[in-house]
Amino acid sequence: MINAFRAEWVPLLRRRFLLGTLGAVFACSVLGTVLTFLSVGHTDFDGDPVTAAWLSEPGGLVQGAQAVSILLGVVALSVVAAALAGDHGHGMLRNQLIAQPHRARLLAGKLLALAVFVGLVVAVATVVSAALAFPLAPVKGVSTAAWHSGAGLAALGTGFVNLYLGSLGYAAVGALAAIVLRGPASAIAVGIAYALPVEMLVSRIYHPARAWLPMQLMQEIATGGAAFATPYADALLRGCLYAAVMVAVALVYFRRRDVTS
Amino acid sequence: MISASPAGPARSRVEPTRRAAAHRPTPGPRRVAGSARSDAAIWTRGLTRSHGTRRAVDQLDLQVPRGALSGFVGPNGAGKSTTLRMLLGLIRPSAGRGYVLGQPISRPDRYLHQVGAMIEGPTFHPGLSGRRNLDQLAILRGLGTHGGGGRSRRRRRVAEVLDQVGLGDRGDDRFSAYSLGMKQRLGIAAALLPRPSLLILDEPTNGLDPAGIREIRTLLGQLAANGMTVFVSSHLLTEVEQICDHLVMINNGRMLFQGHVTDLLAAEDPRIHLVPEHGDDARRLATMINNVGLPVELDLRLDIPDAAGPSTHQPVVTVHGPEGLAADLNRMAMGAGIALRSLRTHRPNLEETFLRVTGEIDGDLVRAEALPRVPDGSVAPAGVGLDPAHSRGGAT
Repeated sequence: MINAFRAEWVPLLRRRFLLGTLGAVFACSVLGTVLTFLSVGHTDFDGDPVTAAWLSEPGGLVQGAQAVSILLGVVALSVVAAALAGDHGHGMLRNQLIAQPHRARLLAGKLLALAVFVGLVVAVATVVSAALAFPLAPVKGVSTAAWHSGAGLAALGTGFVNLYLGSLGYAAVGALAAIVLRGPASAIAVGIAYALPVEMLVSRIYHPARAWLPMQLMQEIATGGAAFATPYADALLRGCLYAAVMVAVALVYFRRRDVTS
Repeated sequence: MISASPAGPARSRVEPTRRAAAHRPTPGPRRVAGSARSDAAIWTRGLTRSHGTRRAVDQLDLQVPRGALSGFVGPNGAGKSTTLRMLLGLIRPSAGRGYVLGQPISRPDRYLHQVGAMIEGPTFHPGLSGRRNLDQLAILRGLGTHGGGGRSRRRRRVAEVLDQVGLGDRGDDRFSAYSLGMKQRLGIAAALLPRPSLLILDEPTNGLDPAGIREIRTLLGQLAANGMTVFVSSHLLTEVEQICDHLVMINNGRMLFQGHVTDLLAAEDPRIHLVPEHGDDARRLATMINNVGLPVELDLRLDIPDAAGPSTHQPVVTVHGPEGLAADLNRMAMGAGIALRSLRTHRPNLEETFLRVTGEIDGDLVRAEALPRVPDGSVAPAGVGLDPAHSRGGAT
């Protein structure tokens, strides 16, 4: 598995892909942070008021990154789907399976590498958002004192972990779509279509579904339990279960399926 | 020289389907089968792969000896790639069993570390250089992870195989910028990475220029000479004939022949083509030769296959017999007052044999006794009396 993990980094670290992905994340993070601070005195996307006092709390430092948690999730989904389905689509999987015939080990190594890569993406988003928050804070009268405290650093760490876990949930959807559909474009399209419009429509029509739909739960996890009424612990448990089931189904598909042209 | 399959009877002549069944090895005692399995680089019995009701591979009994340079030929859709995929663990057989390097194909992890393969064309990451693509596969295979100097050993091996296929100078170019021939070379380089005992290549010379084909031919010969088993599928039958000492020929998923290339060609009947100076003499000549007991055919097409020079527009009398008869036939014709415009001996090559055996060309010649008569008693013009499939030109 460790060989598969190391091998997966070769395409992930190619310059164009890396710069493109991190550039997109950088842009998302800047957008989220600027909009969050510009929203002081107004309401956010969900209609909740955004105040300087709220942003001055220890957790205020990661609010910018959390505002774009959906976009980070979409990036994670797209990266994972493109990487896994690209192996199928370009026919590289044949070479890889000849080099590593243990399919479970191969997929596990790939998923592990992709999970670390998603962590890198979320870390960049968090760092960019936090760095931008400091110069933006005085503009809207937000105090940064609590951000420097131990509680502030803890909130920053917790925020990063939540964003990471939520993004991994999106990544699991991308992995499943890639293994089942085997084409990058279709995997990304179907994955995003399900994660965004389908679940949003269902949850808006039938509100209790928010507590059970996978992507809604991932959103709950990413924002640290601030999005919906579902308790964070419940959302985390259900979200982890969903992710585990998605990865397990992908693994079964991957092991049993014929690899043809 | 590689010996023919020990599990099968000696081959004489080959014909599609009907004779294929006769060439299937007789199941021997378990002890013999076990021995054959371990002696052979590839050994299958009843290997079958079905897609719904259609059988892509049908009861295939393969036996590729260790150390052989074996050609795997068959028309498009014959089941070659499906067979190779099963041997490489990419798809599962519907029935039958198989062993590669003595290990069951149901456990590819036991033998693929000794196998290098390029199947269905070279497929690599388009955004990575050739070198980085090979690097990824080398890491995946764990090359350089045991012992010291892992990374440098791995890079050295990648550089070696790039040089081996003539890509040393272009290794750092993106794969997407490679020509088809260069991609093909990279595919072969990837297959060579693990220093395999068995090399399986699917159409390795696709897209290569003549010089490239020659280089690959030489390379495969060298690899086989060093003890590597090379199993290569190809449509370039001239190449297969030149480089392979062992041959597996399939059609519609079924075995047509396996064994020595020389055995196959020796089993083909040699022919002598006689072209009378006057077309009117052709029938008389054919009848005369037939009367002495030699099988003879009269070809009404307008030219001798592969004849050098301009078209002669003459019927050809084809006698099935050894080259030694040529002088006798010449004397016989002269004795009957028939001047011959040309007399040429011909032994079918692999391409002709392949086309005949696979049914691509199966009856361009017409038996002398079945010749259609034309009112003036002369030889019928080309194509008369033949169905459309037979009236087309081409090799016999």
